[in-house]
Amino acid sequence: MKKFVGALAASALAAAAWAAPVQAAEVRIGYSIAKTGLFAPAAPSQINAYNLWAEQVNARGGLDLGGKEKRKIELIQYDDQSNPGNAVKIYEKLITQDKVDLLLSPWGTPHHFAIASVLERHKFPMIGSTASSVQLRNMKPGNIWFTTAAVADKLATAMVGLLQSAGVKSVAILTNQLPFGQENKKFLMPALKAAGIEVLVDADYPPNIKDMTAILVKVKAAKPDGVIGLAYPGDSILYINKAREVGIAAKFQYLLVGPAIGFFRGMFKGAADGIVTLGHWSPHGDDARSKAFYAAYKKKFKQEPDYLDSVEAWVSVEILEQAVAKAGLDKDKLRQAISTGTFDTIIGKVRFDGVQNAVTPTGFLQIQKGELHVVWPKDRQTAPLAPKTGWK
Amino acid sequence: MRFATPRETVPLLLVAAIAAILPLLGSDYYLGVGFALFGWIALAQSWTIVSGLAGYISLGHVVFAGIGGYVLVLTWGAVPVWAGAVLGALAAGLFALLVGLPVLRVRGPYFVILTFGLAEFAKYVVINIENALGRFGRLILGGPPVETLYWAMAAAALAGTLAVIVTRRVRLGAGLAAVREDELAAETIGVPTVRFKLLAFALSAVLPGFVGALFVLRTGYFEPAQAFDPVISFTIVTMAIIGGSEDARGPVFGALFLVVLSELLWSNFPQVYMIILGALLIGFVLFAPNGVAGLLDRRRPSGGARAAA
Amino acid sequence: MEFLLSGQLLVAALIIGSIYGLVALGLNLIYGTMRLLNIAHGDLVMIGAYTGYWLFTLAAISPVLAMLAAGALAGLTGAALYFGLFRRQLAGSQPIERIEANSLLIFFGISIVIQNLTALAFTASPRTYQALDTLVRIGEVSIAQSRLVALAVCLGLSAAIVLFLRFSALGLSIRALIQHRTASRIVGIDVDRVQAFTFVLGFALAGLAGTLIGVTEQISPFMGFPFTIVAFVVIVLGGLGNLAGGIAAGMVLGLIETYGVALTSANLRSVLIYGVFILVLVLRPEGLLQKRRLT
Repeated sequence: MKKFVGALAASALAAAAWAAPVQAAEVRIGYSIAKTGLFAPAAPSQINAYNLWAEQVNARGGLDLGGKEKRKIELIQYDDQSNPGNAVKIYEKLITQDKVDLLLSPWGTPHHFAIASVLERHKFPMIGSTASSVQLRNMKPGNIWFTTAAVADKLATAMVGLLQSAGVKSVAILTNQLPFGQENKKFLMPALKAAGIEVLVDADYPPNIKDMTAILVKVKAAKPDGVIGLAYPGDSILYINKAREVGIAAKFQYLLVGPAIGFFRGMFKGAADGIVTLGHWSPHGDDARSKAFYAAYKKKFKQEPDYLDSVEAWVSVEILEQAVAKAGLDKDKLRQAISTGTFDTIIGKVRFDGVQNAVTPTGFLQIQKGELHVVWPKDRQTAPLAPKTGWK
Repeated sequence: MRFATPRETVPLLLVAAIAAILPLLGSDYYLGVGFALFGWIALAQSWTIVSGLAGYISLGHVVFAGIGGYVLVLTWGAVPVWAGAVLGALAAGLFALLVGLPVLRVRGPYFVILTFGLAEFAKYVVINIENALGRFGRLILGGPPVETLYWAMAAAALAGTLAVIVTRRVRLGAGLAAVREDELAAETIGVPTVRFKLLAFALSAVLPGFVGALFVLRTGYFEPAQAFDPVISFTIVTMAIIGGSEDARGPVFGALFLVVLSELLWSNFPQVYMIILGALLIGFVLFAPNGVAGLLDRRRPSGGARAAA
Repeated sequence: MEFLLSGQLLVAALIIGSIYGLVALGLNLIYGTMRLLNIAHGDLVMIGAYTGYWLFTLAAISPVLAMLAAGALAGLTGAALYFGLFRRQLAGSQPIERIEANSLLIFFGISIVIQNLTALAFTASPRTYQALDTLVRIGEVSIAQSRLVALAVCLGLSAAIVLFLRFSALGLSIRALIQHRTASRIVGIDVDRVQAFTFVLGFALAGLAGTLIGVTEQISPFMGFPFTIVAFVVIVLGGLGNLAGGIAAGMVLGLIETYGVALTSANLRSVLIYGVFILVLVLRPEGLLQKRRLT
């Protein structure tokens, strides 16, 4: 009886394993992403970039594996439901059960952070994209890298520069409890103090916050020059709605993640004008790679790429492609190639120092008449910073 | 000492047989599935002690696993790994003793929603503590290999199964059964209900604390919202109700069934999996309140003498 | 601290409180008359929110009308569940404790099924829509039209229900059932009819409130559960079966939440709500049971 049940269970599990296709001729590349749940509004920006890349590579005859052969790409995608715990299980499954050749990154800092130990355990290199973490950098992992320049300590310095150039003397800081926002705040507070910028309101809130009225009433009463919202997409939307209702009149209003996503501007039209956000890329320059990416994305998806997330995802696959062309699929050689190489990307040359991008400067974007412009650093500006004037 | 009855040998041998077979399949994947299966068996057996035997249905059992996991990451680097896991188990038991007295005064459905609220409360408290400490998720790099974790969890599953079997045989088990049938009457005939309930609550918390610590070692990642995820509590209850919570067989049957189902569905059809879970819960409550084990007994009434009841 | 005197804050608290009151009213009715612990109550709020969202997005129907449709849809769900599942449970000879415990588990299963069916149909991604977003100024206070409507409807409807229960024949039967289940049957009340009506009414109220909530909050398949918890807190606070008390308790909870968050941190909102929940249950373990002793 018990033997029978045991055998039955084992064979049921074996059947589950057989359901996964056996080794195909394609290069199998897996990832999980927040297709549903709290972070879902941000995910299409990244999925689109991955799909566009796979399509282009396959049209070129496939992915170049160490100069020896070219194989077509097969993408394997799972929904982690915005739950970092699920991402851990899925990356484990991708490596041990689906036996993928390469990995792409999920969306967001919590998910990158969560899967870092899976990557270390299996010594499987993966280039990150829409994430950065000082905490992870300090642990010196060997199999994950961040394409973005926006690591919290560098961001704090850049933010203070931007605030000073805008003549902001006092701010309110509203911080999402999620790691990226909190890390930003941790480095921003001392930097503001050193620059003599007064923090009039300092309020944290949970990721699933429903009503910001209580916080914004405080902000309104304090009359700061600037509001720094260290927010994610969902709460960025909430902020615009409530700040408009309460009537926040600060001339500088910043939201960390969200406004760079295409639908955001469409949703609020004029009300979002003047909002500053994180980003260091813009198609308005004369870089040929950038222009080609922008045109191809717009043609395929009938909308602009997300200036932050689509760009980071694209940079991550540009680097992966170049590293694989040099090193093939061997994990050790690939790790070596990524950590020592210099890569051509739409944000210019990228080279890694430990986990972080050692080259690209940190920047900010502003929504002006429904378009995103780089307003910082000054030497990359596509438009000067303008004060936010009301909510239209 | 009475001889072991089938309702005692079946679950023990089943767990031992699975533990012996899975490593022979030679893949990390099967070890991972086995690890999860044994984890659920250990959790569901623990739950059975207070919720099956005493009838105090806990909808917040994840709180003990969460505490175990949290203690492990707090002590990470300061004490050996195994000590961290044991401390996690002890902390969970201690927590049960502390909150048990007021919480166990609440009865019936109010106990059910109270345990749920308690687990959520603990989750948000830990979230705020971590936030105040400036920790936004914790990573554990270089934990024990999966084989080690697999055998540790198999041991936990066996321990949980044994705990239910032994509890049913001793005076505590008879007392808890009396509490479940009629608490007032039990008190009148001299059963020390308060002490027994508290003891059962603490017993049912220790092993989940250990399991929670192993969960964290397995993922290498701790984040309060994951560690205290209410879906874990819900899954435990569903497993026990599907399998039956009268004796040690039920949790093994229930966990086995749901783990196989979950392996087939979770990654590609997560919502379908949850819908089936919900539907099974409704179906079993309405039509087979004693679970699969109860159905087996009904078909073949020679299943051995019922202890206690 | 002068921001505490802001009218904006007070209005926000009143709006939240009135919504809590209406949501809890539905739960209170069902628990009071039938001892069914509807832990899926918040999911009807969710269904109402989606109804409002789709009617506005697809057909540009105002939430003011959509809330009637949402009420009807939730009411129908209630009718289906009552006649399909619970009528038999209630008619059986099971002890009341058994019905309570079983209903909790069954409703829990129902909740999981509803949430995940919705996620399957509409994805789990949060949605928002901009309806009734004109700003209205009343003195110092500026407020979106949608929230003003929510305040008016919740208060109006709650008052109407209380009056209905006090003065109509059907309302009197419901109150009789709440106060004394067995005796109601003896004095000739058609218990089955009253139960069916109350069940549908309780569901409909939650659905209707859901549309009002969905205009101002993000809508997702899993948005309902916090409302279930809040509704439980409210009915325990206000006294079981005490419908007017429940509405007042809703207001109190709205004030505690809004000013609690304003004084401490938004991070502590959940700690605050669950803290009150646990305290009430532990300090008054007999609180919910008191009424039952009468039966």
